[in-house]
Amino acid sequence: MLLHDADHKKRDILFFSLPYLTVYVAFMVFPVVYGFYLSFFDWNILSTKVFVGLKNYVEAFSDPEFLSSFFHTIQFVVISTPLIIVVGFIMALIAVRPTKTGRISETVFFLPYMLSTSVVGTLWAWIFQKNYGLANQLLKSVGLSPLGWLTDPSIAMTSIIIATLWWTAGFNMILFSAGMKQIPEEIYDAAKIDGAGSFTTLTKITIPLLRDTSLLVLVLQIIASFKVFGQVYVMTGGGPYGTTRVLVQYVYKTGFSYFRLGYASAMSILLFMVILLVSVIQFLRKPDETQ
Amino acid sequence: MKKPFDILGKLFIALLIVLWLAPLIWLVITSLKSENTVMSDTLSLVFTPTIENYRKAFASTLLGRWMLNSLTVAVVTTILTVLIDSAMAYVLARIPFRGRKALFIFILAGMMIPFEVLIIQLYLEFTTLGLANTLAAVILPRLALPIGVFILTQFFRSIPLVLEEAAFIDGASRFTVFRTIILPLSKSAVFAVAIIAFINAWNDFLWPLVAISSSEKYTITVGIANFQGTHGTEYSLIMAGALLASVPQIIMYLLFRKNIVKSIAMTGIKE
Repeated sequence: MLLHDADHKKRDILFFSLPYLTVYVAFMVFPVVYGFYLSFFDWNILSTKVFVGLKNYVEAFSDPEFLSSFFHTIQFVVISTPLIIVVGFIMALIAVRPTKTGRISETVFFLPYMLSTSVVGTLWAWIFQKNYGLANQLLKSVGLSPLGWLTDPSIAMTSIIIATLWWTAGFNMILFSAGMKQIPEEIYDAAKIDGAGSFTTLTKITIPLLRDTSLLVLVLQIIASFKVFGQVYVMTGGGPYGTTRVLVQYVYKTGFSYFRLGYASAMSILLFMVILLVSVIQFLRKPDETQ
Repeated sequence: MKKPFDILGKLFIALLIVLWLAPLIWLVITSLKSENTVMSDTLSLVFTPTIENYRKAFASTLLGRWMLNSLTVAVVTTILTVLIDSAMAYVLARIPFRGRKALFIFILAGMMIPFEVLIIQLYLEFTTLGLANTLAAVILPRLALPIGVFILTQFFRSIPLVLEEAAFIDGASRFTVFRTIILPLSKSAVFAVAIIAFINAWNDFLWPLVAISSSEKYTITVGIANFQGTHGTEYSLIMAGALLASVPQIIMYLLFRKNIVKSIAMTGIKE
């Protein structure tokens, strides 16, 4: 390239990349490797590590608490993913319009996403509060009987999903509306000339042309849902009777309440595998979607 | 999608907006009610507003301290992330060497590592380093932001080489070129990365929950979650705290809404 390059190239490469590589390797790459390593040991911090091979992994699949946490996580993923995506898509249809309504909608729908998990969690715990919460007050005011939103095992997970929907739908809206803005206006004009109604336009143009965006949204949403923790921790603490306990929370509990670090690591690795598998789907399709 | 709205559509939009605003309005209203009013007269919109809860939140809890901790964490994280990540991106975009492509892939692979699966190992690591229960522990694991490097690298590559070449001919060092040409030309990308870093750092919950054990070092997210345990039924106090905890993000959102939306669209990050 330039003459100058010969001089300090090596030094400059080190100077510019060392800070990043240090924190990246120390706090992301190393923990992954270390987690793998620990997952083969029985260790409770105080004792010496005992190599147990695959025992931790085998145990996970016969541990009712792990299996139920895994099941709740899957339940959360399966119900929340389509819901949050569809609502995000509808929001995008509204927000993408270059009108005042569009702008206001976008601002309002995205606002909750700016709030932190614990704020969202405490707010919705209060909304779903049994006696004085907004949800039950409204039910009572129209003559319906109040619900145990967070205390009834059969609906607690639904309540968490509602809170999550409110919190994160705006994120998917942004991705969808970014995708919609890429669709050339002429296509819509042509469809209009051909007499296509808005429903036809939606199903024959907008949705098919958003295929790549939809895949991205789907993958990101599934991954995010698998990692669910904060809102559950704050709203129900995993209760009632463990019916909303999710994987990350069980890992947390195993590690920091039971101090079974090898076992907790093994479960982390299992979760990591699931998430990797989902991410790979995206790369199989189209490598450059994120651009 | 130019079809005019019908009445039904308009009603639907209005309903959706109301549904999305209602929890926030409820948050504000609760925070302005006295403890007694909250318990007796929940739905009533007619009440004497009080700022007592806000006063109490600051006076009888560590809320002010937690806000300061979060602000420290978020600001330091943002500045360091931008510096470290843009330096890395400069190498990937501008200094050709053997193995650069492999290095780029190695760094992008980090996008697939979910933070949630690292907490046990990070906790052990920071305990060994003697940094457990410090704000440094909260900051350090957040500094390598692979998506940030990706955005910056793409952006740097789009800057024409001519400008740098002229500077090199004048004898400028890479550091000078980076500081005086590359960074100033990349304001929008740098800003996007800064926004992502700030929001991530401010909203981070699981890791500070694990890393910090003493309450005076809590970040605001951990502090607010803890409120529920310590102030169980004082809902108006809790809501005042939750609202205060959200002030920085809400201000940021109102000031930089367009940039924030753009950064989100650019990255598809999700925490």
